[in-house]
Order: sequence, then structure tokens, then C-alpha cells
Amino acid sequence: MNALNAFLFVAFPYAAVLVFVIGLAIRYRHRGFTISSLSSQFLEGRRLFWGVVPFHVGLLIILTGHLLAFLVPSSILAWNAEPVRLIILEVSAFAFGLSVLVGLGSLMFRRFTESRVRAVTTRMDIAVEVLLLTQIILGLWVALGYRWGSSWFAADLSPYLWSLFALKPETEAVYALPWVIKLHIFGAFLLIFMVPFSRLAHIFVAPLHYLSRPYQQVMWNWDRGAIRDPNTAWSRARPRNN
Amino acid sequence: MQRKRFDIRSLPRVIMLVLPGLIGMAQASPARAQTGEELFKTHCAACHTVGGGRLVGPDLAGVGDRRAPEWIVRFVQGSQAMVKAGDETAVALFKEYASIPMPDQPLSEAQVLSIVEYTRGGAAATGALTPPAAAPVAAEPTQAEIEHGQALFQGKARPKNGGPSCNSCHEVVHDAVIGGGVLARELTTVFGRLGGQGVRSIIGAPPFPVMQRAYLEKPLTPEEVSALVAFLQFSDRNHALQQPRDYGPKLAASGAGFTALLLGFYTVLWRGRKRQSVYQAISDRQITSSN
Repeated sequence: MNALNAFLFVAFPYAAVLVFVIGLAIRYRHRGFTISSLSSQFLEGRRLFWGVVPFHVGLLIILTGHLLAFLVPSSILAWNAEPVRLIILEVSAFAFGLSVLVGLGSLMFRRFTESRVRAVTTRMDIAVEVLLLTQIILGLWVALGYRWGSSWFAADLSPYLWSLFALKPETEAVYALPWVIKLHIFGAFLLIFMVPFSRLAHIFVAPLHYLSRPYQQVMWNWDRGAIRDPNTAWSRARPRNN
Repeated sequence: MQRKRFDIRSLPRVIMLVLPGLIGMAQASPARAQTGEELFKTHCAACHTVGGGRLVGPDLAGVGDRRAPEWIVRFVQGSQAMVKAGDETAVALFKEYASIPMPDQPLSEAQVLSIVEYTRGGAAATGALTPPAAAPVAAEPTQAEIEHGQALFQGKARPKNGGPSCNSCHEVVHDAVIGGGVLARELTTVFGRLGGQGVRSIIGAPPFPVMQRAYLEKPLTPEEVSALVAFLQFSDRNHALQQPRDYGPKLAASGAGFTALLLGFYTVLWRGRKRQSVYQAISDRQITSSN
């Protein structure tokens, strides 16, 4: 049992991070153009909205929450000191978790029922979706079945993660946790491990500059007559050549 | 000349080569080299003494003479498994000590044996060891102590050293305390089960790995421990009169309600989204203009 624990919570996390860094560097260097979300929006857009939006918004908030509990555990404990604040935090986190579940469920349903999307589906896509689904169900289970996770994450898991970074793993507390929580922790490292081999790598090419770039105005020049008439308002700026 | 490239598909094979080494490293890294005395204080002293009489569990003075070393090792590493398997001595001990299960200790055989060695000679050398938390419990806690304990339990009063509040993991049936955590044992009647001294010992020097880690650098002060013991004594006596809310189903229901709101919010925020393919518009337009 101890060998299994040592593998899951010491050896595998290091292996996962190693593979993540080296694998991603190799993929970027040799197959840079494969780092993409492989969007299927051109194939089907209407149902996609009800998948990607709840999924990504929920996931970004949940990941930020986990990151904060890891980086500033004492602030999380201080926030949770007031019961009302604790409940607000936990209910919101649970709701964003459900948002991820709704989004992922609808994305998987779309993938299996939409023939155009099914045609571009790879085995790795299915593996990633099944793993994400397992991970989110485990996370929701932990939130309800082992509440108040935000507090005990800050008290026990944050020191564990820091100890991994310091190369002096402190694992006794993690070994003693229930298996649902342990599987959720292992699942997180498994996802990190899979980033270089799957479309998950697209987190590094998120088009963040779209947030600050000016709008691109698209004009359809299909009515040639209207374009040539200087009195029409097809553009607010009058054409210079007229 | 063609450059030989590293193929990403060979990465799993590289990992398989590296992984056994990493596992070996993980297992070889010792927790912390500790003497029998140090291990006793960290893992056992909350519930046991050496020559100081019984506490939550039996006095361990000379335990190495009463039981076989292999039996002790097995019991320390998994007492409940032995009780379930029907080991006569284990079952008798479990019944004698009010059926309070002893938590499995993450100790190696060598570590357990060094503790046994300590209980044999170490205590005699240092005199009968009274555990650090063996101060007498005040007979009747004051109202102020109970209230302070209640505030500490649910975090309204922050522990001086910044540790987590008890309700992160524990629940107590009490009207004025919000539903506590369910990661660890429910504590409403813990005072009645373990007695004041037992509760005090466990809060002061937790023998459970998860609780130990949580308070490792942030121990509770003796005053805080006393206040918490007072609060737990109060809740043990008064729990029959309390009817607190059940948080479990409410948490799930409010989460689901909030998610419905979120979905509505996404629709409003993305109301200007393109609802059909760009090609659809082009296709329609060409059909219109050709007519």
C-alpha cells in the first residue's frame, strides 16, 4: 500500500511535471502547429456554445480557486473564518463545478451525436473527455461528501504541494486521506501528464490578445452599386477615391 | 544528412525507463530520522503514557514484555483490521477501552520497535513520563470559556498561531454553530466517549496524520485547547436540545440554483453571438442576389 501511495503522490507527480515540461518543449519545437484547440466551431456552432462556455468559464474559476488555496492558504483560512463567507465560497465553487459538468456533458453529447464532429474525433479526445469528466465528478463528490474542502485544502494539501516543490515530499497527511480525495489529486497530475499528448496543450495558445486588440470590421462587398454610391452609408468614412 | 529527430511517440518509453528510479527515490526518502522518544511524543503521547497510568488507551510501560514485538507492530499499523479479523487480544483491548478505535499509524516496523524500546528503558531513565498535556482538567468550565471555545470551533475567533478552525473537518450538533466539515469524525459526544483528559490530549498533540499536519507549524495554545475542551463538554451535555440545520442537501440545492443563474448569465453576456455558420449567410445571400 505504501509503495502504491509513494507512486501516486510522489513519483508520479514528479514524472508528470517532467513529462509536461519536456514533452511540451519537444512538441512546440517539432510539431508546433499541432498545439491547437482543434476547434470544431466551423462544423457545428449552435450546440457548441452550451458546451464550451459553461465548461471553460467554470473551469477557469475552479482552477483559479485551487491555485489560490495553494499559493495563499492563510488568506483562504482567514476568509473562511466567518461562516457566511465560507458558505458563499463553497456554494459558488460548487456551482462553477456544476457549470463545468453541464458544459462537459453537453460537449460529450454533441461529440457523439453530431456526425460532423464525430468524424474528426480521435481516441485521445475521448480519453481527455472521460478523464475530465471523472475528475469533475470526483471534485463535486469531494465538495459535498467531504466538505469544507477549501479549509482543509489550505491546511493539508497546500503544505503537501509546497513540499513537492521543495523536493522534500511530506506525504503522511495525504496518505491518510479518503480514496475519493486521493483519486482527485492523482487525476490532477494525470491531466498535467497528458497535456503534451493531447489538445489540452491549447491552454498555452489561448488568444488572450483578442481581449485587447481593436475590432475587425468585416464588410461584404457584394452590392457593387451601393459601394460606388458616395451617398450611401455602407461605411461611416466616405471612400477616398470618390 | 538528415537530422535525427526525437519522436514524441517514444516519450512513454523514456518515462517507463525513468519511473522506477523515481519510485525508488520516493520510497527511499526517509520521513525524518527520529528517536523512539520523539516518535512516542508525536504519535502516542496523546492517548498513552509510559508509567503515568491509563489515558484514552493503556499505559505502555513495559508493553514489550507483555506482547510479542510482531503483534505490536501489526496492531500499531492496523488495529481495526486485527479487531475485524478476530484477534482475541485486540478485541479484548478494544472492548476494555470503550470501543474507541486506535488510528492506524504510518510507522515502519523499525520505528514501532524503537518506540517499544523507549517504553522499556527510556521512561525509567527519564523518570515516569507524564504526557505534556496531562494537566488536570478544570471541573466546571466557565461560560466565557465555552463561548470562546464555540467561536474557535467555527473560526469566528482565529487561533493565535493561524491554524485552521475545527469545523473545517469536524461537525458538532449545535444550533449556533454552522454545519461543520465531514472529512473527520463528528465530535458532538466526543467528550463523553474520551473524557476530558482524552480530548485535551488529542487536541494538544493530535495522533492523526491529517490533523497533525494541519497544526504542525500552527499549534493551538493551552488556553485555546482548554476553551475547546469546555465547548465540547458543553455540546456533549446539551446536544439533545439542539436542532441545527442539515447543510448537506442545502449546499447541493443552492449550488444547482446558482448554476441555473450562471447559465442565464452566459446567455445574456453572449447574446450577440453568431448563431449559425458564416457560410449560411453567404449561401443565403447568393441565392437572393441570383433571383
